[in-house]
Amino acid sequence: MISLAQAPRGRQLKIVEIEGGEGVRRRLFALGFHKNDLIEVNAHGIFRGPLLVRNLTADTSVALGRGIVSRIMVDIVSDEG
Amino acid sequence: MKDEAPTVIFLGQPNSGKSTLFNAIAGPKALTSNFPGTSCKHTHSLVNIEGRLLNVVDLPGAYSLNPSDPAEKIILTHLFQEKPDLVINVVDASILGRSLELTIELLELGFPMIIALNMVDLAEKKGVHIDSEKLGKILGVKVIPTIASHGRGIKELLEAAFLGLDNPDPVSSPPWSGDVEEEIGRLAAKLPPNIVIAGNPRFTAIKLIEAHKVFCLEILAEADPGLQEELVLAKKAIESKRLAPAYEVIAAERHHLAFKIFEQSSRILRGKRLSWEQRIDDVIMHPVLGYPILVIIFLAFFFLIFKIGSPLEGILLGPLGQLRAALLGWLGPGLIFHLADGLIQGVGGGAAIVLPYFVPLLFFMAFLEDLGYLSRAGFLLDTFMHRIGLHGKSVSPFVLGFGCNVPAVLSTRILESRRDRVITSLLIPFIPCSARTTIVLALVAFFLGPLYALGFYFFNILIVAVIGRLLSFFFKDPSPGLILEIPSLKMPSLANMIRKTYLELKSFVKFAWPLLVAGSVVLSLLHYLSLDRILNVAFSPLIVYGLGLPQELGITLVFGFLRKELSLIMMLQALGVDYKNLLTVISREQILVFTVFVSFFIPCLSTFAILWKEIGRRIAFISVGLSIAVAIVVSLLVRLFF
Repeated sequence: MISLAQAPRGRQLKIVEIEGGEGVRRRLFALGFHKNDLIEVNAHGIFRGPLLVRNLTADTSVALGRGIVSRIMVDIVSDEG
Repeated sequence: MKDEAPTVIFLGQPNSGKSTLFNAIAGPKALTSNFPGTSCKHTHSLVNIEGRLLNVVDLPGAYSLNPSDPAEKIILTHLFQEKPDLVINVVDASILGRSLELTIELLELGFPMIIALNMVDLAEKKGVHIDSEKLGKILGVKVIPTIASHGRGIKELLEAAFLGLDNPDPVSSPPWSGDVEEEIGRLAAKLPPNIVIAGNPRFTAIKLIEAHKVFCLEILAEADPGLQEELVLAKKAIESKRLAPAYEVIAAERHHLAFKIFEQSSRILRGKRLSWEQRIDDVIMHPVLGYPILVIIFLAFFFLIFKIGSPLEGILLGPLGQLRAALLGWLGPGLIFHLADGLIQGVGGGAAIVLPYFVPLLFFMAFLEDLGYLSRAGFLLDTFMHRIGLHGKSVSPFVLGFGCNVPAVLSTRILESRRDRVITSLLIPFIPCSARTTIVLALVAFFLGPLYALGFYFFNILIVAVIGRLLSFFFKDPSPGLILEIPSLKMPSLANMIRKTYLELKSFVKFAWPLLVAGSVVLSLLHYLSLDRILNVAFSPLIVYGLGLPQELGITLVFGFLRKELSLIMMLQALGVDYKNLLTVISREQILVFTVFVSFFIPCLSTFAILWKEIGRRIAFISVGLSIAVAIVVSLLVRLFF
């Protein structure tokens, strides 16, 4: 299990846990990010910028700041990409 | 209005094509529109459709009925206030699973409802085939496939809406897992009848469990100790079984139900993202390539605004001057002329100086927003916004601020945390709005050269960054950070862009303009009563000794507060020269100091008022203090180094 901040680009990942404050977690749930969803990192912003994260389960994309991605724990599912 | 015409509310998640659908149905036929002060982007229209009068309400998009920013809270308030006879839930078919989470919440609420399954063409292109009849059977409501941008399915949707209005059927959501349902049912049965907030006991019970804070239900529950006890029991029961907070359990239940329904009603043939879109996104959101593209797009953005605005301004200002001269001849230089002059200057200033730049800015901004680029710019600029203690979501209020600070402050409602809203609102008054741009162009660009004007802008943005950095030291609690949906790229529709421009413009016309006119009349009176001389003496320590400017310019400070763009005309009037001979009485250095001081020194009256109304009195006064301090420091620096 690693944090989303350390996850490699383009690999399929599975959300294991969403940590952090209630406000942030609620917001992520509302945007369709839940435990067990499959996601992948599509792009990194420069200078430790945000991550562009694609939710493969819901087929949506979200930009997430560094503070938030460090609190989303994921497992690497596949090696393709 | 409500008595005769049934109320139909459009509700859907952001980017579901809700506004396009609303336009296709109500847009051209809307008889009346009004915009209650609570929301700047919500339309209320009395529409005559096929001989039937409907009160159609279009609310901004919301991801869920558990609001997490002030804009979403407004939606909820309206939903409960309007007590709709029918809800039209607009669903983005291309991301059906996620969209159904809101649909399920609406079913819990239990208002009569139909579903517009929008953008079915996009879903098909993605390889997702949805059986709308089957979906309707599972949900227990009518589902109409639509393609709002092509006007397809509108007729069927209207027929279903009329049918729904004539035979209102209460709806209910499919059940969740037994253990959760059991607790909800138990709590619902214990509810005293007077606290059912909306819809039905089950909805109230769910909201008590997952969002009591948002709905202010805590107070209600506390007033009834028995209920409070039941609530704690129900939450504990859920949490001990699932080992997660109750709100997460309920969110997960909704999520699973939504995806189960999605799978039952759809066949996924390819399930691949459109590759061309992926390719474009790879380029425009590239960590290196993305930035030059961003710079080019925003340069083109401001260049176009200027290209359209500048000739318009010239055309509109001419007749205004003539009218003024004619009035002077007709009324004589008495009190009536001064009152009329103030009125004309106020109305005309708004029309000739702000609107020529502001309308194109709003229009192009709507274009970038509908295209999906504004959120991508938020992603790209997030890193830099972090340096000043904010994040990518503050980008669009700032861009709006270049047009007029008033709607920019209003638009900070999209930010979730109060901390971000306060910092953004304190920075917005430092963004050069159309009125200030006019001064910079007329004084700096004309007398010192266009490079100086460009430098001025660069310097201005630098100052915003420095102040932001300083402000973030005072707001210790960290920003929650960026969570921003990046919608798929879409071709914007012209009707939508026009409507957005119009809605945004309303807040300027309704709020800022009247204050502009009032300020203008006050200034005219000051002048008539010769109070300007007294003010000049009062301000002279600052103006003469501090900034090294002629004493006559003291009065322009008052103007700066009441109306920024009038500072220029006032300056000429105060110095008694015409524009072309300005350099005979004042040096280029003094022009620069004056422009810097006037641009920064105080938010205009309208901005001050909107800060007070939206963020609070304390922040409005802090903003005034901050800008006076910044203006003095910066203009002294300019005086020292120039």
